[in-house]
Amino acid sequence: MKGIYSVLVENRAGVLAEIARLFARRNFNIESLAVGETDRHDTSSMTIVSSGDQRTLDQIEKHLNKRIDVIKVRRLEERDALSLEMMLIKVAYSVSTRSQIMEICSIMGASILHLSPRHMVIELHAAHEKIESFIDLVRPFGILEVQRTGTISMSRK
Amino acid sequence: MNGAQAMIQCLDQENIHTIFGYPGVAIAPFYEALYGSDVRHVLVRQEQNAGHAASGFARISGRPAVCVTTSGPGALNLITAVATAYADSIPLIAVTGQVARRLIGRDVFQEADVIGAMEPFTKYRYMVRRADDIPRVMKEAFYIASTGRKGPVLIDLPIDVQQEELTQPFHYPEDVSIRGYKPHIKGNGQQLRRVLQALKAAEKPLLCAGGGVISSGAQDLVRSFCEKHGIPAVTTMMGIGAFPSAHPLYYGMIGNNGRSYANKAMSESDLLIIAGARVADRAMPNTRRLEETAKVIHIDIDTAEIGKNIGPTIPLVGDLRDVFQRLLDQELQLDTSTWREALAGWKDAAVDHRVHSPRLVDPNTLVQKLTARMDPDAVYCADVGQNQMWSAINYEMKEGRFLTTGGMGTMGYAVPCALGARMAAPDRQTVAVCGDGAFQMSFNELATAQAEGVPMKVVVMRNHYLGLVKEYQDKNYGGHHSGVTLGDGPDFGKIACAYGMSYYEVSENQALDRILDRFLQDPGSALLVCQVDDVNNTK
Repeated sequence: MKGIYSVLVENRAGVLAEIARLFARRNFNIESLAVGETDRHDTSSMTIVSSGDQRTLDQIEKHLNKRIDVIKVRRLEERDALSLEMMLIKVAYSVSTRSQIMEICSIMGASILHLSPRHMVIELHAAHEKIESFIDLVRPFGILEVQRTGTISMSRK
Repeated sequence: MNGAQAMIQCLDQENIHTIFGYPGVAIAPFYEALYGSDVRHVLVRQEQNAGHAASGFARISGRPAVCVTTSGPGALNLITAVATAYADSIPLIAVTGQVARRLIGRDVFQEADVIGAMEPFTKYRYMVRRADDIPRVMKEAFYIASTGRKGPVLIDLPIDVQQEELTQPFHYPEDVSIRGYKPHIKGNGQQLRRVLQALKAAEKPLLCAGGGVISSGAQDLVRSFCEKHGIPAVTTMMGIGAFPSAHPLYYGMIGNNGRSYANKAMSESDLLIIAGARVADRAMPNTRRLEETAKVIHIDIDTAEIGKNIGPTIPLVGDLRDVFQRLLDQELQLDTSTWREALAGWKDAAVDHRVHSPRLVDPNTLVQKLTARMDPDAVYCADVGQNQMWSAINYEMKEGRFLTTGGMGTMGYAVPCALGARMAAPDRQTVAVCGDGAFQMSFNELATAQAEGVPMKVVVMRNHYLGLVKEYQDKNYGGHHSGVTLGDGPDFGKIACAYGMSYYEVSENQALDRILDRFLQDPGSALLVCQVDDVNNTK
């Protein structure tokens, strides 16, 4: 099972490390973790995606809540969550492959941020699965570098 | 007023008059502020023991106790004691010196990332970056340590923050407001009703009291609850003391080294109420089976304990005092007489499979005779090893306290714990009981007791082995005694003499009564060595 946690934390030194260590120490899995400030400077928001059986996912929520620097934990149901990930991907091209790649970008809603004589940098923000498919689609052309933010999520409610 | 002076002011505000510590350069401004203050500083002989002594002090005073060390090695030596207090849920305030702010992260002399190192073993940690923050940090630290599930809080104090002048007049806050920390005190009403429903339907209810019953001060309420409804009880090692040994509803300690009938009661009950226990493997090795055979009600103040090691049928988060007060108000009309008869039958029929050597002193008899003679409200500090098992099983609880580290199992705990406990209650009889392995880990603190004029009573069960590991090797490694032999030395009589203690030694059961009387009646510090045959085992 997948668990998506939207976690409000104190924006303080060491809090990210503390949360990461909690997962490591208790053998909880981290599939992705994204963190940034909210509209308040003293508060950060994290989206943590994990997986495990029901008991593990419950324990993750409880142990997050137990941290004193954690202000609030929301467990998001996959169907209720709007989830998005951003990726920058550098792909090699030649004259013969350029238009194919551009076609994939256009179908997938990705945009080309930068074009060099031999490679291009593409930006895509989409759901996790779509990002995965995009990577598969451009893999044959030669991927030079990938940077992903990890998933951020918000409840529709 | 500088930061260090503000620290002393805060201790005064928190009514802390005794602290345990070991100085160094990075904490020197604090010690300068301590000089001439009303706070009594107890200089221990190794930093770890400052933590253990504070633990003993906290457990007897019922309030957080303070230990102080310098940066780097001083703080690192303290970690084991802090981790012990964390595992045993003891409220401590650990103050460590740190290098100056501008030097942090440069690997300078005696710098260590103590916040990082202690993160897994503390309830919360502060790196104080401004002297003005000290009153708030101290107020919060005491609040966090002593509320909810109690535990140690670390305050790391850079030397230049200790020296920095406060820019505002000292003001100790009256209230605490921490966004992410609101302990659940009141049990949920709906869950409470489910507990009552389950109780009404139960034929073989059993209560298992953990250390939380004692740290929340709910012993009387839990006992009254069991008495009112005729519910038999067992305890974990940390729960020893929740019931007097002679209580008709009490069936002893559970677990690997517990009573067979207490464990049978667990596996045969149809409704198990676990109160303030973390359900660790030594106490309850087979939780999967328990989940199948009984309805499990798990009551704990720490939400994260629920479902960690056992999947309860009914979880109930709250302070045990609140929960049991409300359970006590209910009328249930349970008839548990058949169940209690069965339990009494198992208790009578229990067979002792342990080896009891006819040679030297029987450790079980020793603990029975010792605790029978101790004052009703005496404090018994048990160390770790075979001696701990013999102590736990045979300790006769009246109105006293049984202090041990059931959670972390840190050898060398008893002597410094007894020192702290005795200082928290100078008129209360306090006895430390160790094996000869553990005793040699911390008997240096007898010097602290001597210097502070604190009379210490220490019993050493001497079998010249690290007995519990030896026993394990006997069972699992064909009797290969690898690394467990302590040898013949040292001469403990000379150790007693060196620390200004009376010395007693006993090597036969017949002499126990006489020697124990003399040992306990000795007006000063005394060491009693009991020669024990190494073939005696714990299960």
